[in-house]
Amino acid sequence: MAPILELVDVHKMFGDFVALERINLEIHDGEFVTIVGPSGSGKTTLIRMLVGMDQPTTGNILLRGERINEIHANQRPTCMVFQSLALFPHRSVGENIEFPLKIRAVPKASRRARAMELLKQLHLPESFYHKGIHQCSGGERQRVALARALAFDPEILFFDEPLSALDYRLRKTLEKELKAIQRSTGKTFVYITHSIEEAMVMSDRIAILRSGRMVQVGTPDEIYHRPRDAFVAQFMGEINRFSVQKASDGTLTDTDTGVRYQAPTRVADADGTALMIRPEQIRLLPEGEHMDNVLSGVLTQSYSLGSRTQYQVSVDGRTVLVELLGRANAGVGDAVRIGWPADSAMLLKA
Amino acid sequence: MSLQSINRAERRNRRLMKLWAGVILVFLYLPIIAVFIASFSNLRFFVFPFQEWSIRWYRAVLSSLEIQQYLQNSLLVAGAVTIISVILAVFGALAFARYPWRGRGVYQRVLLLPIFFPQAVLGLAILMWLSWLGITPGWKTAVFAHLVWIVPIVTLIISIRIYGFDPSLEEAAYDLGASRRQVFLDVTLPLLWPGIFSGALFAFLLSWGNFPLSVYTSGVDQTVPEWMYSRMVAGYTPQVPALGALTVIVAIFLLFGAYALSRWWQRRQARNGNDQ
Repeated sequence: MAPILELVDVHKMFGDFVALERINLEIHDGEFVTIVGPSGSGKTTLIRMLVGMDQPTTGNILLRGERINEIHANQRPTCMVFQSLALFPHRSVGENIEFPLKIRAVPKASRRARAMELLKQLHLPESFYHKGIHQCSGGERQRVALARALAFDPEILFFDEPLSALDYRLRKTLEKELKAIQRSTGKTFVYITHSIEEAMVMSDRIAILRSGRMVQVGTPDEIYHRPRDAFVAQFMGEINRFSVQKASDGTLTDTDTGVRYQAPTRVADADGTALMIRPEQIRLLPEGEHMDNVLSGVLTQSYSLGSRTQYQVSVDGRTVLVELLGRANAGVGDAVRIGWPADSAMLLKA
Repeated sequence: MSLQSINRAERRNRRLMKLWAGVILVFLYLPIIAVFIASFSNLRFFVFPFQEWSIRWYRAVLSSLEIQQYLQNSLLVAGAVTIISVILAVFGALAFARYPWRGRGVYQRVLLLPIFFPQAVLGLAILMWLSWLGITPGWKTAVFAHLVWIVPIVTLIISIRIYGFDPSLEEAAYDLGASRRQVFLDVTLPLLWPGIFSGALFAFLLSWGNFPLSVYTSGVDQTVPEWMYSRMVAGYTPQVPALGALTVIVAIFLLFGAYALSRWWQRRQARNGNDQ
């Protein structure tokens, strides 16, 4: 199937500064794709070009195979939910939702019917129709903004991290709701955020942006379990990182401590110099148990994460993170042995 | 220091602050109050304390055909200045505060210069320029002179309003399919409305009370402040303070009316939609 949106070598310069470097991405009909990157990675520049408020310096943006680089935002069949939501403060909730329909001169009665339908779909009571925007809570505003965007009936709906200002619990609820709405409407959603957590929950695919380059594109599982490099691995969550050098026999030597590690059999990058292990892949070993890689150290800190516990273990002056379900038998100050099977680590390019 | 003595010092400071504010207000308003008092004197000449109170000068002002003509001129000039300055200032303010363009920085600085230029010199300069161009001064040239001084002020007032609202509101409307014109009429203008209103009020009152620019540029169409000045210089009559007092009263009503209107506007916004 042909992609609904295609970016071909999209390049954006601001003066001499390269904001985006030859971005290639295909987005398919009905997909939920999230573009994730730290601040300054170029994600805002990218989304502005995708909605038509900016143009690439070179390269093409294709909507269903047609080049749309120069088509203005108000002529494109797509729309965006803004970071600030951009709800019109001088209009009621109903008038906000009906705005795109009013622009198309849809008669008042059918506009209203559609607005009511959308309120219902977004779990807002009908009485909200007459409410003022500033009478709505943060979560309600999110829903109104989404309703307004859905009233536009876009082919692709873009999101510029609209959830970032909300508190944690509300954000979690809305993330799931957003995903459910995307499923039920079957629309293509393209979301940008700096939060990988948000991306993991909602997305079919994630594209990771770093200083203007698309580093990796894949499903959340692919990216989590097979990151392309050390940056992506670190971006996806807390991880232990050892700098290593590879000997001719395939064993790895820690460049800081001289400790030898057994290399993972599946190696993402043959010239990798970063051996990375997620905290939950490391175990505290009881006396006598052996593993491919074992280190001895002292348990220095423990943090409760609710269902899990995270420990800091000091090994040769370095801190190694270990995460367990439940609690360990050892306490702070105890000497412990930690270990991991060779294949649960990743050897990546630094 | 004990909590009690801190409280006592705090109370004393508050009393001093209130006293200070009161002294300043009296200092600022005493001249206007003096004008009010002078307008109620029964005598033709200003003697204080006066023997008898009277409202005869108010009657004289309201029945004088001469003064009616001056009022008409002032209204004409102030009305024209208000309308033209608001239209210029809305677009000027958008250029000032919203859209990035080459030379915006220069524009932002140069715009303010006429405000700091002494008005008497500005008036004379405009008069010389008019005579060089062969234009006879009249109410239209007075309007022009007032605009030079008032448009920058109104532009600034409306700019403040523009800085106060999120530019993504306009972008969102545009993104939802609105044309540039629809964005302006449906989003920008309604949001600017309070700024436009207070800008218009400023324009009217500043033009209404202006003397130094009018005196050079209004030619035969003299305005109220000019008449007052000429009567103060020669042929004083208590009609001057009476008319002055009337003008102040009208201005006060205008300002309070505007305040009430803006409160009404805010309340309407607070429950917008509910009253549909």
